[in-house]
Amino acid sequence: MISIFDIAIKDLMQLLRDFKTFMFLLLMPILFTLLFGYAFGGFGGGEGGDARLPVGFLNEDERWVSEALHDLLTDSEIIRLRENSSLSASALDLMVAEGELAAALIIPSGYGKEILSDKNARLIVIADTNTSAWKTIEAELLSITSRLDGAARTATIMDKYAGERIPFKYGFDQTLEAWQEPPISIVETTSSAVKETDDGIASLAHTSPGMMLQFAIAGLLTAASVIVTERKSRTLQRLLTTSVKRIHILLGHYLATFILIFTQFTTLILFGHFFLKINYLRVPEATFLVAFCSALCIAAIGLLIGVIAKDEEQAVSFSLIPMFVLSGLGGAWVPLEFTGETFRAIGHISPIAWAMDGFKNISVRGFGFDSVIIPAVVLTTYATVFFLLSLWRLNATEES
Amino acid sequence: MTNSLAIEVLNLHRSFGNTKAVQGAKFDVKEGEIFSLLGPNGAGKTTTISMLSCLLHPDEGDARIMGYSIKDNPMGVKSVLGVVPQEIALYEDLSARENLTFWGKMYGLRGGALKKRVNEVLDVIDLHDRAKERVSKYSGGMKRRVNIGVALLHKPKVIYMDEPTVGIDPQSRRNILDSVVALKDQGMTVLYTTHYMEEAQELSDHIAIMDHGKMIANGTHDELVKLVGGQTRIDLTLNVEAGIVQEIWKNTDGVSQVSAENGLITVLVEDSNQALPLLFESATKHEARITSVDILEPNLEAVFLHLTGRALRD
Ligand SMILES: Nc1ncnc2c1ncn2[C@@H]1O[C@H](COP(=O)(O)OP(=O)(O)O)[C@@H](O)[C@H]1O
Ligand SMILES: [Mg+2]
Repeated sequence: MISIFDIAIKDLMQLLRDFKTFMFLLLMPILFTLLFGYAFGGFGGGEGGDARLPVGFLNEDERWVSEALHDLLTDSEIIRLRENSSLSASALDLMVAEGELAAALIIPSGYGKEILSDKNARLIVIADTNTSAWKTIEAELLSITSRLDGAARTATIMDKYAGERIPFKYGFDQTLEAWQEPPISIVETTSSAVKETDDGIASLAHTSPGMMLQFAIAGLLTAASVIVTERKSRTLQRLLTTSVKRIHILLGHYLATFILIFTQFTTLILFGHFFLKINYLRVPEATFLVAFCSALCIAAIGLLIGVIAKDEEQAVSFSLIPMFVLSGLGGAWVPLEFTGETFRAIGHISPIAWAMDGFKNISVRGFGFDSVIIPAVVLTTYATVFFLLSLWRLNATEES
Repeated sequence: MTNSLAIEVLNLHRSFGNTKAVQGAKFDVKEGEIFSLLGPNGAGKTTTISMLSCLLHPDEGDARIMGYSIKDNPMGVKSVLGVVPQEIALYEDLSARENLTFWGKMYGLRGGALKKRVNEVLDVIDLHDRAKERVSKYSGGMKRRVNIGVALLHKPKVIYMDEPTVGIDPQSRRNILDSVVALKDQGMTVLYTTHYMEEAQELSDHIAIMDHGKMIANGTHDELVKLVGGQTRIDLTLNVEAGIVQEIWKNTDGVSQVSAENGLITVLVEDSNQALPLLFESATKHEARITSVDILEPNLEAVFLHLTGRALRD
């Protein structure tokens, strides 16, 4: 058993002596994240870099006041409205439950009338009220509705005294305008999933997890080459002449590459959090659980490739396929949010899609720890399958 | 040397596709002896060693190492075994000491015992001075020495050395050959493969000659040489005409033939150790001085030629 650790330590010693490994694993990803993030933010803007929280919207009220509310919401820096008149309240409910939307907002018919008649106007909100995303949205909604409410009241009062000279609608619009800068900003006092929505940063929020995974999955080449080098230097054969069990040899190499990839994740998460202001550490245990399981999975894929590949060339070409297919499918390049339903479903064949979900659920979508449990379980399952496959393959191949 | 067997090879066969790499390898190695497998490249030596190390499954046959069957108890086999592979099997970016320490752990050594043993092995392979350098900076001979050192760490009962002296400088070669004899002195059993007949001759208690996957001869050096029916040839020169001396030598015990040509006298004898003193004695008696002697013992090269019709180094 202890030989597992001896082998892992030996592997890490070898890898760390190679400056190229170090460059490749840590410096390159940091540079690329910056480069791509700003390039993306620079010409992409708009949707591509939108990190606002997706909120479903359904307007059942015809009054113009409700329209005004809609416009305020559209301009929000916190909320991104997802409007689709064909969606019913129950469809929205489902989308919130599945995490596709951070919340859904329904303006019931009569809302405008109630607001204008100074009654207690009520909006219908569908959300998981335990998430901090909800707290952020709630604060924003309160801020917006109080502006609307305030404008309505002021306009009503003005109407009472100057009804003939100023049309009500004009008074309302003017007041609303004047309230554009609300005296108290609730948003800034709440913990928010997306602290800053500056374009560059917003696009980084999407590119950072993708970049991180892109480079982590490149780590599978490192994992594969550890095995291939071991075979090429004939030390694998020599290990097989000692009493060390095959599964321990494999676990040793697995542990080393896992540690390497996990360290890479940790560095990039900390870098992303503190320098790029991406909110990875909002729920640190969740982000690190996703990183842990992603590293397990990627290291296992690398191990399998290493066991199958005959030489370094094969290891490289075998690694390129999963590197591109898995990260492409998994949304490391183009976030799956911006692709169609079908592609998103297919994409989830890739463990990378689950890793992306896990990271973004915390850093972008503002969900809680629970939201990463399923991604973590899926990633761990993938890892187990790949590890068992490599063990089976190593046992099946005779070493000579 | 006891009489119990360290290695029993029972009719091993192994093919790679159409290549019959080993066809019926069969030999016994006694505990505490040096046994050489001698054969040209491609004879099947490495394939045999790989089967005996449980790295390759035999198609047919079995072998027992210190009583453990390679088929039924590979873990038992591995526990008594040290293997020096033909290809250098080391971590080039680690130092000699780091390599030895790592492999020591793989053989189950820990802590103080491991450190002590690594130092001992560094002494044996004579690399204490440069133990901290990366193996990649070593010469071929130094790498070979580390390659051997690794297999000695756990003081195995049986050690296989597969062509450990290929392509190295004379000094490293000497060091290696000396250490093989030292291993035997410590009571280890050594199975040594080589295509250098001088090495087989110098080191071995028993030698098996392999060719095209088959064992073509097996015995002590002397037994093998007798197969050629060969006698030792002694080439001599004298400070006088051969004349009478030549006639007298013809009638000396153990001498079967004497001929002279251009001042060089060629004598065929059964045993040079017995015959030479007699030759000197009779030369002195007739006031002739022997000015040069060249003993050409029949060798394994001749045996191989005799058995296969080819030279060993083809
Ligand atoms: N893994 C292998 N695959 C195919 N052929 C092999 C393999 N290993 C050895 N051979 C063949 O088996 C024969 C014996 O090889 P080997 O045992 O390496 O000989 P030696 O060690 O005496 O030089 C050679 O013809 C060699 O080409
Ligand atoms: Mg060989």
